[in-house]
Amino acid sequence: MGVSIRPLLEGCRHPVSFGDIPGVAAIDANNALYQFLSIIRQADGTPLQDTRGRVTSHLSGLLFRTAHFLENGIMPFYIFDGPPPEFKAKTIAGRRGIREAGEVEWVKALERGDTDAAYRAAMQSTRVDSAILGSGKRLLDALGIPWMEAPSEGEAQSASFVNNGIATYSVSQDYDSLLFGATVLVRNLTVSGKRRIGGRQVTISPERIYLSEFLETLGITREQLIQIGILIGTDFNEGIHGIGPKKALKIVREGRFSDVMAEKAPDTDPEPIMEFFLFPPVAEAYQPEWKPPDPDQIIGILCDEYGFSTERIHPVLERIAGPQKGQSGQMRLDAWN
Amino acid sequence: MLKATIDADTFRELIDAISALVGECRLHVSESGIATRAVDTSNVAMISLELDAAAFQTYSATQTEIGLDIAKMKNILGMVGKNDPIDLELDAEGRKLSVSFKSYRYSISLLDTKTIRKDPNPPTLNLPAVVKVTGEVLNNAIKAASVVSDKIAFKIDPTKPAFTMIAEGDTDNIKLELGKDEIEFVQVAEARSLFSLDYLKDMGKVIGRSNLIEIQLGIDHPVQFLFTIAQDSGRVTYLLAPRIEAD
Repeated sequence: MGVSIRPLLEGCRHPVSFGDIPGVAAIDANNALYQFLSIIRQADGTPLQDTRGRVTSHLSGLLFRTAHFLENGIMPFYIFDGPPPEFKAKTIAGRRGIREAGEVEWVKALERGDTDAAYRAAMQSTRVDSAILGSGKRLLDALGIPWMEAPSEGEAQSASFVNNGIATYSVSQDYDSLLFGATVLVRNLTVSGKRRIGGRQVTISPERIYLSEFLETLGITREQLIQIGILIGTDFNEGIHGIGPKKALKIVREGRFSDVMAEKAPDTDPEPIMEFFLFPPVAEAYQPEWKPPDPDQIIGILCDEYGFSTERIHPVLERIAGPQKGQSGQMRLDAWN
Repeated sequence: MLKATIDADTFRELIDAISALVGECRLHVSESGIATRAVDTSNVAMISLELDAAAFQTYSATQTEIGLDIAKMKNILGMVGKNDPIDLELDAEGRKLSVSFKSYRYSISLLDTKTIRKDPNPPTLNLPAVVKVTGEVLNNAIKAASVVSDKIAFKIDPTKPAFTMIAEGDTDNIKLELGKDEIEFVQVAEARSLFSLDYLKDMGKVIGRSNLIEIQLGIDHPVQFLFTIAQDSGRVTYLLAPRIEAD
């Protein structure tokens, strides 16, 4: 979800490769898990499952992406959403509706034998539930990757970490991070690679967005960017029907935000939303710590519990934890630190 | 602040030495010269480099840090003639570097240093065996080994003493043994470590131009190559983590 300001970002989305962005990545964890669940699927939309029918797409995503991050000098730090603010309830209810409709359509499409439609519907039915969160966090612990639960929105916390230097950039698919003031946002980091979109194969690469450049390009302040968000709709309010990003930009530049809100959305009070984007509840002091991965624990969770094949997991473990005892492999310099 | 003139060959030596390992780096500029330390993206190889102000034809600088796209500099150097002097000047904000030679004047956007990996800490190493050899001998051994394998073992036998380089491929192998006549044994100790030729080939191209390389070795430990560039006005250290053999 998030705020749909993509059309305004023309010229500000800079393609980068994995090797270009070493540093601490504050990752919107719920968003990343959602992406893994939604894209790691079989052709007919069935997610990866163990023999008991438990979904394992997210574990596969976490393991392989983490290895890829570490190999490129990217230090992942996963930030999970805490309790949502009250005014997010509507969005959450809306998402539930979309998911349930997706589930119904998925079954219908499978019955028709339409695998493309089934895949699309299955992606919409994606949900990040407590089982997914729980197993994801346990795997992160075994991998030695730090995570935390934000006091409120994960993206707000990520933005705060970027701004106080604990993280180098924020990672999310949603542009909300910019509204929360993240100075550097990297998108597509958790989804890059070959993806099916609308039944077609496309290649997605990471892109970096600098908040200051974006605001300068539009000639607006961050407060005005939030106003644009409120006009077109955020996770915390429905937008005004008929107002898209370009129109919203015009309204804000002309200083007509309050007038338009009062006229078109008299029931929405923009103040608490503005306040929430500007001063969200965040934890100030937190030092993430990366520990060496625990291969036995990783094998325990993935292979023993969730039925991954050891042949698939061992090569990845070698990439992140060094060669197994008695095996040949390239050592890393940090073995001598 | 940085305003300096350097001859193309010296600048090329500098850029080549860095580009053998990394595509971008943080360059620390000070009154006495420039320095960098960087690891490759897999954290297998490290370069530490210092270039004194004396390596430049003219040099005036105050302390600052810039992010340099090494790959881009290498492409620009392709345009420069062998003996052209190159003028380097940092703009007031420290965001752009002007690189001028002949009638050309490139204005190069620098990288945000915040986005470049922080200077790595040099690992704590105790490498007991030290030998000195010409860059050409070492580079030729690396090239010869690459014909049959993707890895090479460096061994020191303290009894002879001898420095042996052995590469074993699936079907073929090559061995080069150097004794006292060809190599200087500075510190004799038993050593044997195996290294990936992928990394050594890139380092070898740089090392091959140097008159004398100091090689520091241990048992299943990283290897350290020390050599000078720019007529001894610059010092480079390459560090490479070993591969560990199957038992």
